[in-house]
Amino acid sequence: MASPRAPLPGLALAAAFLVLAALPLLLGASNYLLGLLISALILAGVALAWALLGNLGGMVSFGHAAFFGVGGYASALLAGKLGLPVLLTVPLGGLLAALASLAMLPALRLSGPYFALAILAYAQIFRILATEASSLTGGAAGLQRYPGLPTVFGLDLASRPGAYALLVALVALGCLAYAAIRRSALGLALRAIAESEDATRVVGVNSVLLKAWMLALSAFITGLFGALNAHIIGFLEPDYAFAGSWSVLPIIASVFGGYRTVLGPVGGAVVIYLFDQVVAKGLIAVGHQILLGLLLVAMVLAAPNGLLGLLERKGGARAGA
Amino acid sequence: MRDLILQALFSGLLIGGVYALVALGLALSFGAMRIINLAHGELVLIAAYAAYVVEARGGVSPYWAIPLALAIVSVVGAVLFLMIDRIREHRELNSLILTYGVGIVLTNAVLLAFASDVRTTTAPALQDAVTLGPVYAMAGEIVAFGLSLVLMVALWWWLKRSWYGRAVRAVSSNRAAATLMGINPLRTELVAFLVAGALASFAGVALYTMSVVQPALGHALTVKAFIVTVLAGVGSIPGVFLAALLLGVTEALTVTLASSALQELAGMVLFLLVLFLLPSGLFGARARRG
Repeated sequence: MASPRAPLPGLALAAAFLVLAALPLLLGASNYLLGLLISALILAGVALAWALLGNLGGMVSFGHAAFFGVGGYASALLAGKLGLPVLLTVPLGGLLAALASLAMLPALRLSGPYFALAILAYAQIFRILATEASSLTGGAAGLQRYPGLPTVFGLDLASRPGAYALLVALVALGCLAYAAIRRSALGLALRAIAESEDATRVVGVNSVLLKAWMLALSAFITGLFGALNAHIIGFLEPDYAFAGSWSVLPIIASVFGGYRTVLGPVGGAVVIYLFDQVVAKGLIAVGHQILLGLLLVAMVLAAPNGLLGLLERKGGARAGA
Repeated sequence: MRDLILQALFSGLLIGGVYALVALGLALSFGAMRIINLAHGELVLIAAYAAYVVEARGGVSPYWAIPLALAIVSVVGAVLFLMIDRIREHRELNSLILTYGVGIVLTNAVLLAFASDVRTTTAPALQDAVTLGPVYAMAGEIVAFGLSLVLMVALWWWLKRSWYGRAVRAVSSNRAAATLMGINPLRTELVAFLVAGALASFAGVALYTMSVVQPALGHALTVKAFIVTVLAGVGSIPGVFLAALLLGVTEALTVTLASSALQELAGMVLFLLVLFLLPSGLFGARARRG
């Protein structure tokens, strides 16, 4: 495991995001490629939120699709039906997703598999509710009359380069926030909880409260990216907004990149998404997720700390020698 | 309306028998290994498609698929067991992710091999309606329910009386003490895992002969089995059986009284209610989950 004060953020983070920002230029910025990268970054945001909960909160979630869907629907409805500005509804979407996580608070006292499955149950319930509450959400037919992203300071966020720039900035911000929490006293307490929750409670840490905060923060980030995605795509339906893949892909991305690192989930998401869309879908039209499943199994067995985890360990060994 | 409700109760009970088999398998491997096998439903799925292959391609009764299903599921189960056993760090969390990944692989493998079409038995003998007073069932449903009962009694006998059954219970209750008594924990875990796979094999064939199967079924069954084990609480086979019947009946009543779109929701709500209101389950003694 990486040492608590790992010298990760700063330089590595800046370098990684310069690469990410320059990626379209390096690859030749066609609209198709930018579209792929935009989706990959949305996934990166959710993966970051998932890993934050998994690493700092010690909780595996199989239900992040719930937050993603709530964020998307909340923002689309607030902007479409109430006419609020999109720049306001996107963070509101995140807040409402965090609010939805309050409904899951009773699940926090459950351990491991019970929590994982309880949150899966929540995701299913939210999806069914979105389908059934058709007067508000349009039901299974979907929702499409709501505004897209606006133009801010001359930057048209609705255009692909604009959306891409916005997402790179937000993912970077998310990484910085994650790294800051990890290095704070809060992060220390959370790591202690992951080691032994009982022992940590004994020394006076309110572990349930801390885990609740992590769940709410993770839900907020996921809802935020769900909202952005809704305005970028311009169409929502329950089976898409609450799709199981919004729960599955972040897990695969995080495990692949290394869910105990800050940059692992982001890098993992970009690689996994491009691999899935460009390579796997080309090889196998239906059932292309089999390759992702194999990858997940191989990673857990061969490198449970992910690719970045491997690098860190090698680096640490060299430094120690 | 009364007839419809009676029919829903009856159909729910019949499918509940199969849910019980799947849930018992999940509970058995959890008891021995302390990990939840999230690919357990996919083992059932493989068995169901073995029955489909035997019937559709072999042209014989799907029950002949039982040996084939047992063989395939045992091999897959053994490989899965060896993979789980290789996990060293963060065992609980990583085994969840691992078995989840295996579930994705198996579901998509079935999808690749057999497409996403819904399959069910075509044998006329199994689809014959059997009338029992005000309610009726397909012959296949009756056979499947009978099979579940027989297997549950067999499992009960095995756990109570056989050497390995006792070893499984010993390892479940205290692994270190069991090891000191000369039980090989690894071999015992493997046996428990294979017995769980055998239950899944029968459940898969039974499901194919009484209901419809499709690739997405595996994941849904894992969730249902987990719901049943939570409802039942830790412990007894009769408890799991009753909880499975309760789930089957709840689903069937939801479909009859409300809509089939809400079928999954009913199980989930039941699950959350029991999880939060009765943390040790309906029939559990003093389980601890938090």
